[in-house]
Amino acid sequence: MTASGTDTIFSKPRYRTAASPQPARRRLLVAQDAACAVPLLDHPAPALLLSLGGELAADIQQERFPSPAALYLRLQLLLEQAEVGTRLYVVGDETFVWHVYRLARHAGLLGDEIELIKSGARRRLYCVHCATFQDIGEEGEANCSGCGVRLLVREHFSQRLGAYMGVCLDPSRPYGEDRP
Amino acid sequence: MSALMEVRVCAVRQLTPVVREFTFEAAEGQLPGFSSGSHVQVLMPLGERTLRNAYSLLGDPADSTRYRIAVRLQDASRGGSRYLHERVAVGDRLQLSRPHNLFPLHSQASHHVLVAGGIGITPFMAYIAELQARGASFELHYAFRGRLTDAYVDELAERLGDRLHAYDSSAGQRLDLAALLAGQPLGTHLYACGPQRLLDGLREQARALGWPDGRVHWEAFAAPEPGLAFRVELARSGQRIEVPADLSLLEALEAAGVEVPNLCRGGVCGQCATRYLAGAVEHRDHYLDEAQRADSLMPCVSRGGCASALLLDL
Ligand code: FES
Repeated sequence: MTASGTDTIFSKPRYRTAASPQPARRRLLVAQDAACAVPLLDHPAPALLLSLGGELAADIQQERFPSPAALYLRLQLLLEQAEVGTRLYVVGDETFVWHVYRLARHAGLLGDEIELIKSGARRRLYCVHCATFQDIGEEGEANCSGCGVRLLVREHFSQRLGAYMGVCLDPSRPYGEDRP
Repeated sequence: MSALMEVRVCAVRQLTPVVREFTFEAAEGQLPGFSSGSHVQVLMPLGERTLRNAYSLLGDPADSTRYRIAVRLQDASRGGSRYLHERVAVGDRLQLSRPHNLFPLHSQASHHVLVAGGIGITPFMAYIAELQARGASFELHYAFRGRLTDAYVDELAERLGDRLHAYDSSAGQRLDLAALLAGQPLGTHLYACGPQRLLDGLREQARALGWPDGRVHWEAFAAPEPGLAFRVELARSGQRIEVPADLSLLEALEAAGVEVPNLCRGGVCGQCATRYLAGAVEHRDHYLDEAQRADSLMPCVSRGGCASALLLDL
């Protein structure tokens, strides 16, 4: 009897730095910047690279998309027709890789069939008070773009939301300064 | 072990020369409901000892007024299957454990591939009832020896049409694992029940073709094999127990009034893990890894050596 991997919903995610040697029959590589896909190439199975731009001088099939939405749509179609034995490798910033991750899980891939490599510093922040998402960098505090409250960026990462949790930094000031 | 219940045998059918089917109803009150893939332990009084074997429930989970099991006569067994085949008749009463499920259907799968070897068809009889009721997508691959272990094959052919893929080894038909694993859509989960050889082959092929373990579910035949007699000593109570050749350590402990939690009684579920402090162990389980085996054993299948007593942390 096997236990299927349960997703830890809140934890600081860990990322790979290169493709694992896990066997696969077909590999889908998805990159924000094709140049960052180099660490994914070292694997014998045939691969297709989808990217938003950048150059990768490698002898693999490549497709480039003008927008994330177009890339997501293409990936969705590919996954609908995919067979078990397909592995997905995603390289990009956290916002991007978790978006692709959720899309792929929805299409039927297991967490064990997806490998994430992080590049860039962009992160998604979720305000637990007003449920607004915003992009941040590596800073530990931020003003919520929704309710204006000063947020502390917790280390807790929600895979479901693809975001870090932001909680009110100073409980004595639960509202934003310049809130009308 | 949790509460036992008493049932009455209300039907017996010989399905093949080696497979016999038993239908039970509650001796009083109602039988508990069960989910597909569940098993019960059947208690068999053999002389002054009681054997317990686990059998899959093969009826429709939507109807729990009766339980059905199918038992293959095992030549090398310790007498459990022989007892059921030769001594149990309609009207007899038997004791069963409550149903437990160690082999459930995976709710997120969009396609289910079932692979049965011989008597390993039993859990899938319940699966199929549930999958058909749900209108779920599935296929069954059933390998057997014609007129020997082909229980239910005619019934299945009628119910499933081309969703049944039958492989009769007496007609030289072979189950091609690689072909079966190729071309399955992304949401597929695979379930296998049958002899260890089949399960090992399937897991190895699946891994090589990029199937992660989370998509492959299996149930081994759960029955302890006899071994040599040995002695155990319980460190906490000081009790000494002789384990005869045809009893498992778990059964010998139970006979001596020592309760150890257990479910599968076949070395796969991990429930019965027990620490030992000294002595040689012949590990026969499919659960513990090498490191864990240094101080733990599964008494439902594993045995001590005959040279010195095994000291258990009980
Ligand atoms: S009872 Fe399941 S491993 Fe022993």
